[in-house]
Amino acid sequence: MKKLTQIIWRWVGFPGTAIVVFLAALTWLVIGCSTAGNSASTASGQGGAQLWAQNCQRCHNTRSPSTYNDAQWEVAMMHMRVRANLTPEEHKQILAFLKSGK
Amino acid sequence: MRTLFPVLLTVLLLGSAGIYAQENKPPPGEDYVSRAEYDKLKAEHEAMKQELEGLKTTVRQIANGTVPAPAEGPSTTTKSPEGKQVVTEATSQSDLDALHEEVDSLKSEIKGVVPGTTKFLLAGYGTAGFTARSGEDPFFDAAFNAIFLWKVNDRLLFEGELEFQFEDGNTTTNLEVAQASYLLNDYMTIGVGRFLNPMNYFVERQHMNWVNKFPDKPLAVYDGLLPESELGAQLRGVIPIGPTKLEYAAFVANAPDLITTPGDFSTLGMLDFGNLANAGGHIAVGGHVGFIPIPELEVGYGILRSKVGPRDQAVEAILQSVDFNYVRDSTLLKGLINFRAQWVWSHVGHFIYDPDGGQGFGPFEFNNNRNGGYVQLAYRPTGFGNIIKNFEPVVRYDRLNQLHTPVGFDEQRWSFGLDYWLTSSAVIKAAYELDNKNAGARDQDAFMLQVAVGF
Repeated sequence: MKKLTQIIWRWVGFPGTAIVVFLAALTWLVIGCSTAGNSASTASGQGGAQLWAQNCQRCHNTRSPSTYNDAQWEVAMMHMRVRANLTPEEHKQILAFLKSGK
Repeated sequence: MRTLFPVLLTVLLLGSAGIYAQENKPPPGEDYVSRAEYDKLKAEHEAMKQELEGLKTTVRQIANGTVPAPAEGPSTTTKSPEGKQVVTEATSQSDLDALHEEVDSLKSEIKGVVPGTTKFLLAGYGTAGFTARSGEDPFFDAAFNAIFLWKVNDRLLFEGELEFQFEDGNTTTNLEVAQASYLLNDYMTIGVGRFLNPMNYFVERQHMNWVNKFPDKPLAVYDGLLPESELGAQLRGVIPIGPTKLEYAAFVANAPDLITTPGDFSTLGMLDFGNLANAGGHIAVGGHVGFIPIPELEVGYGILRSKVGPRDQAVEAILQSVDFNYVRDSTLLKGLINFRAQWVWSHVGHFIYDPDGGQGFGPFEFNNNRNGGYVQLAYRPTGFGNIIKNFEPVVRYDRLNQLHTPVGFDEQRWSFGLDYWLTSSAVIKAAYELDNKNAGARDQDAFMLQVAVGF
């Protein structure tokens, strides 16, 4: 019984890694390669507004640039850079958009 | 002139009355006007008439364009071919530049003297709700989370979060987050303190009530099989790989404790994630990787491993999580599609509970493997009219499997909700939850309402 439990656990516990690796490889090959122009990371060529919509919307509704003043956006965006793992370029362009969008 | 005429008439009448009274030798008193007063009033009236005429003339001249309007600044007046006057700004570009510089300088100075606005931000969210669950008394509840953010400089950020909520009739305060983060370089940040569990996507990105689309939280991933926060240190960041992004987080923290002497037998063998004192002296090691092939999609995997239990009888615990998140603004469906799923597995090694029978139920051992998670789909019709686009129907399936543990049953729920967004961070939620437990446990359907405001 104990051995059976261990075998079941291996099957239950292992799929986490297997599923992610499989999905990552599949999406990278199929979607990533076919949308080379629609990069998830390269901020160059994408406006701050587009990056703002893409990155913020992945977790929550996008907040209007008028929500905070410039100084407050600097703090909020540094927080989001850490929490949401933004690249420096994404951080820079989104912050510039939020400051200019009032 | 219209206003002066009654005055003049009054004065004349009074004057006539005065003359008439003097000629008929009435007794002198305060009700009568003397000759001198009359003459004075008449002179003032004549002066006012002249002044009024003068003003009328000036107005007519301005209207005809024969007299220039009074100048207020550096401008010149010329005549157009049609004979109309044109006022031309004579301000030079250098003057404008100087003015802009002065305005920018003033803005900077003002920001500098206003306390707090340059580096500090108070954010957070508040909620108020109502729950009617079958088999329990209905109740109202409220909570408030204050998030303090202090940007010390371009590399150092401190984040603190305090949660105030009602619990067992009392107001409780919890320190949810107290973390200092330092940007080591463009792609690596180190954080120390108490932070949200990086291996749990729902906790780190979705649990905030103004973000979470249901009034309650899914089974297993929240207040279930995974910790909500860790006390330790983490290293995290993002690596751009071609057209994709790879997020990562690795951490060491106090290990959870294994419940071996429970007050409630059903909690036997569960992990106590509130082990702030690190009873047992073990260290947990964990991490998360998230892959973003396109901006709309993120898939991730998280793991935590540690020894748990008394130091001389410690067993291994492994927690794993898989998350899938897809958010797309679809022109075809005229709205925002929001699909999320997360499944978690908890394994605690073989342990003999109450080995000497001192607690009255041992020796006792069981298969301490549990799993559960949720799948959720929401649609917000942003391409429709003003009222409709604020609604967001949402459906969720969540499940927690722990039949073969002291809990003794599996639970699954179907939840149907309708949200109405007042603003981008303020929402009214209504939901009905169909609960289904096996092994004879009582099902507890629920109706819930909640208002959540993020700020």
